[in-house]
Amino acid sequence: MKVSLKWLREYVEVPDDNKALCDKLDLTGTGVEGADEKGASFSNVVVGQILAKEHHPNSDHMWVCSVDVGDHNLGDDGSPAPLQIVCGAQNFKALDKIAVALVGAQLPGDVKIKKSKLRGIKSCGMNCSSRELGLGAESDGIMILPEDAPIGVDFADYLDLTDTVLDLEITPNRPDCLSMEGMAREVGAIYRESVADVCTDYTLEENGQATDELVDVSVKDPDRCLRYAARVIDGIKVGPSPDWMVERLTAAGMRSINNVVDATNYVLMLLGQPLHAFDFDKVDKTGSRAQIIVRAAADGEHLTTLDGEDRTLSSDMTVIASPQRPLALAGVMGGLDSEVTDQTTSIMLETAVFDAAHTSRTSRNLGLMSESSIRYERKVDAAAVERNADFAAALIVALCGGSASKGLIDWYPQPVSPCDLRFRMPRFCKMMGADIPRAEAEDILTRLGCKVSDAGDDTMRVIAPTYRPDLEREIDLYEEVLRLYGMAKIPRTLPGGRGRVGRKSRHEKIIDRLHTTLQACGLNETMTYSFAGEDDLIKLRMDPSVKDHAVHVINPINADQSVMRQSIIPGLLRSVAFNQHHDCENVQLYEIGNVFTSHEGRKLPREQQKLAGVLVGSMANAQWNRPATPFDFFDGKGVLEAIARELALPKVRFKAADADKTPFLQPGRAAYLIAGGATIGWVGEIHPLAVKAFEAEAPVVAFELDIDHLEASTRPSRDYHDVSEFPAVRTDIAFVVDEGVTAEQMMQRITSAGGKILDDVQLFDIYRDEERLGAGKKSMAFALVWRALDRTLKGAEVDKAQAKLITKVGKATGAEVRAR
Amino acid sequence: MAVIDEINEVRTRALADIESAQGTDALDTVRVDVLGKSGALTHYLRSMGSIPAGDRAIVGKTLNSVRDEVETALQHKHDALASAELDQSMAQGAVDITLPGRAQQVGTRHLISGIIDEITDIFRGIGYSVASGTEVETDYYNFEALNTPPDHPARGMQDTFYVVDQTGEHSSVRGESDVLLRTQTSGVQAHTMEDQKPPIYIVAPGKVYRRDVADPSHLPQFNQIEGLVVDKGITFGDLRGTLDYVCKQIFGEDRETRFRPHYFPFTEPSAEVDVSCGICHGKGCRFCKGTGWVEVLGCGMVDPNVFGYADIDPEVYSGFAFGMGAERIACLKYNVPDLRMLLAGDMRFLRQF
Repeated sequence: MKVSLKWLREYVEVPDDNKALCDKLDLTGTGVEGADEKGASFSNVVVGQILAKEHHPNSDHMWVCSVDVGDHNLGDDGSPAPLQIVCGAQNFKALDKIAVALVGAQLPGDVKIKKSKLRGIKSCGMNCSSRELGLGAESDGIMILPEDAPIGVDFADYLDLTDTVLDLEITPNRPDCLSMEGMAREVGAIYRESVADVCTDYTLEENGQATDELVDVSVKDPDRCLRYAARVIDGIKVGPSPDWMVERLTAAGMRSINNVVDATNYVLMLLGQPLHAFDFDKVDKTGSRAQIIVRAAADGEHLTTLDGEDRTLSSDMTVIASPQRPLALAGVMGGLDSEVTDQTTSIMLETAVFDAAHTSRTSRNLGLMSESSIRYERKVDAAAVERNADFAAALIVALCGGSASKGLIDWYPQPVSPCDLRFRMPRFCKMMGADIPRAEAEDILTRLGCKVSDAGDDTMRVIAPTYRPDLEREIDLYEEVLRLYGMAKIPRTLPGGRGRVGRKSRHEKIIDRLHTTLQACGLNETMTYSFAGEDDLIKLRMDPSVKDHAVHVINPINADQSVMRQSIIPGLLRSVAFNQHHDCENVQLYEIGNVFTSHEGRKLPREQQKLAGVLVGSMANAQWNRPATPFDFFDGKGVLEAIARELALPKVRFKAADADKTPFLQPGRAAYLIAGGATIGWVGEIHPLAVKAFEAEAPVVAFELDIDHLEASTRPSRDYHDVSEFPAVRTDIAFVVDEGVTAEQMMQRITSAGGKILDDVQLFDIYRDEERLGAGKKSMAFALVWRALDRTLKGAEVDKAQAKLITKVGKATGAEVRAR
Repeated sequence: MAVIDEINEVRTRALADIESAQGTDALDTVRVDVLGKSGALTHYLRSMGSIPAGDRAIVGKTLNSVRDEVETALQHKHDALASAELDQSMAQGAVDITLPGRAQQVGTRHLISGIIDEITDIFRGIGYSVASGTEVETDYYNFEALNTPPDHPARGMQDTFYVVDQTGEHSSVRGESDVLLRTQTSGVQAHTMEDQKPPIYIVAPGKVYRRDVADPSHLPQFNQIEGLVVDKGITFGDLRGTLDYVCKQIFGEDRETRFRPHYFPFTEPSAEVDVSCGICHGKGCRFCKGTGWVEVLGCGMVDPNVFGYADIDPEVYSGFAFGMGAERIACLKYNVPDLRMLLAGDMRFLRQF
């Protein structure tokens, strides 16, 4: 809402200090989003007087004028001298006061006034029209000023063009503030100033023609229209609006159109009352009467609105119609057919109140917001319609001529009654946490237009004004008193309460542990969009049937973000590409976030929290004392091993992933993480073609785990194992086995064959040599640590145990000892 | 006596050799030459038997004294040489300590997660627990149960992403749906009030979505931290005190807060909270657009209608709710020039925090 302080000052005293005013508005609930200091859009224009006017010798329509501009022009003797100005306008005579642009003046449209010759006659300035000064849309010749205009005075000062226009944030609960009258009341209440009646300037005089002989109004659905008033104004002349109105509308951010439309817009801005003027001659008549019907639109009915758009209507929308056709979309916009034009001589002025909910839905359904719809959906005061209608008619007659029909047709079956509320002082003070004096509360409510009386029991009876639809409950009044009393005056306290503790849930602790572990593994947390492209999973080579369960956004911003993600990996791959394109080759990222799966017949999709990570390049570039080690499958697996350890996952194993079930991973470099029998997620190198589809460069090691599964598998505590105080015996064994024998098989066999005294086993070398070991064979070397909890092991005991181990492992796997 | 002279000669030579020894190895050679199995002094000690009995005492005494003297000299010299050699070897081991260390890369926390952690920790410290909810929500929990019925003008305040309703139901407004991406984490509050009896002290951090095109100051997806308190005797003063405390914890003890009355459908009275500008400290500068204040959060007393939806008696209980944007706080604290950096995964950005 743009509010001109110059205009506002017509009705209420406003402090001169703009900064103080803005602060005060901010602290009482009217947000100030900007303050635009307005001045004239011209300079060096002064008030002048035509002293003489003679025919231009070389032109039949131009005049050579002698213009007094005071001491802005001095003669040879140093005393004021008139200027010679050539002028083509016809609407002036000698001794008229006019606006003169001096040489050097700047006018709107980047016009600069210079000395010139017009058909051989010198001209030292310009007599200005209102259009040339940016003060009016059209003009018949130059501006003629009142006789008392002082010669030589700067024209901007004379017009009092300096103004401050505040851009105010009016919250949806305050429709009253979407008008100058409402803002005047608000400012009056804030500063305890009286507010002048804004409707005094015009009084309505009616002609002999009774309105109800011209118009018949029937409202079909009272739920959609609370009040409908109409009057006919005949004999008007459509033309430009007076300057003062253009100036005010411009300040309010509106464009001047013609005097009729401007008058309706002016009333809208002044009183917050949307009006609509129909060209009465274009409204279908039955006999001499127009039949105005307010009804639900028919589904599929068409109406071309003022903006030229053909609108298809639905039954939830309301139209103003003749028996033949719809004329206007109630509360939102008029129809093009019955629009006021330059030829209009007779109008029907509608002053109505339409239902908020229907207006809001209509506006949203059509994507059509107007100054009217904004006000109707926030509620317009039905009680003020008669006054508003009379004022609007008087204003139009004053501006456009003609005369108003006798009497207002006023369909108003259920007059609104003001809200009758109670204000319990003790409860108010208790809820605020401050002792606010009753007198102060009463004063504030009264200033806001409420009628306050005593209801006994430390309670006030408060009748709220009808222009404040937001005051319908006791709590609404609390807010009013608090905001004008001053929130800053309420003492700051902290809630008491017994037995309250802030605690972390198990889930939060697990998430914390995951973050710590991943960061310890060198990974950096990131966030990517929850949105995804519809073809992301195809690009990733994931099972295309998964796509059928995507959650579709109805109104996405762009096609790349039209569904909710089903995996975090595509987002991470985009980040990998981003980094690679910015010459950053080493990428270690992870994200914890939700993925979404829809299900036919279920309103809400399934949301699963996932942990995903990518490792690309290496952990660091080569250093003086350490080479760069490129990431491979085992770096990803190592991260999962760390997680498994930190979350104390039970019975952890990695199972080779089937290539046909994980087509997005490189075959042979992909595994499932299984803990306690449940599959927690996968780790692997992303298929090179999938990486390429996201414009990144392979290899990309990645993993994605399901947090719910992780959480379900995590053991709440760890088991303690005794630590031996006795010395260890270390031995190394290299087994030669077939290629097909896995490390996991060997580890399992060795561990079980070693018995209780085998404390630790590490695989420290894998060696292949066709000549020495044979084709299809490999040597796996293990470091064994033998140690007992209760004694120092003797050499012979270890030898015996190791011999048994070799036999058992050999039997189970075909392994032969290569060296010892 | 010739033997005595010979012994003294051995002594003189030995002491000179010790003195001139160049290293512990050379010194050891000297020791062997003098005191070894066939050393010069050992020879005399062994041949005491052939010394005439009358001379034995004096020769023995001389021998012992020379041996002690040589041993002491050897020990002193060894200590000196060993120390010098250690110094030398350490000197050779000196490194350019400005060379980079062999550090393991430690990963980083995302700036926004860090801020959410910081803020939730502050609230845990004053007895709040963390609650969470789904990101796809029904219209009821995102709007209606928060006192924003279907045609409420406040719906226009937030541009909502709608998703396809798989039950096949249709909204009364074209392009809208009963299922949406939550525009606020307030839905968590509505669920909590249904599921849990007061007292309630929760904060709900999480992702929210609004239909804004991504640009330096807007993201269609961002993070909010909302809070809800419902208890007996909760006052507006409690709301002021709590948020003043929290803002000071986040931004610094020297920062002031101010409450500006505002409007939110689910609270009344409602307010926006400003923190004094950290750059100009309230004088007014470009950062705070000359006001001296920067907006950080919205809040208010829980509207009785909201209690109504959750079957909580507003005559018995009162409460407050508040919400703040983690990205906004990140911008205020770190001056991030372009919010899109928060979602790009740029390693150069992420590794800064």
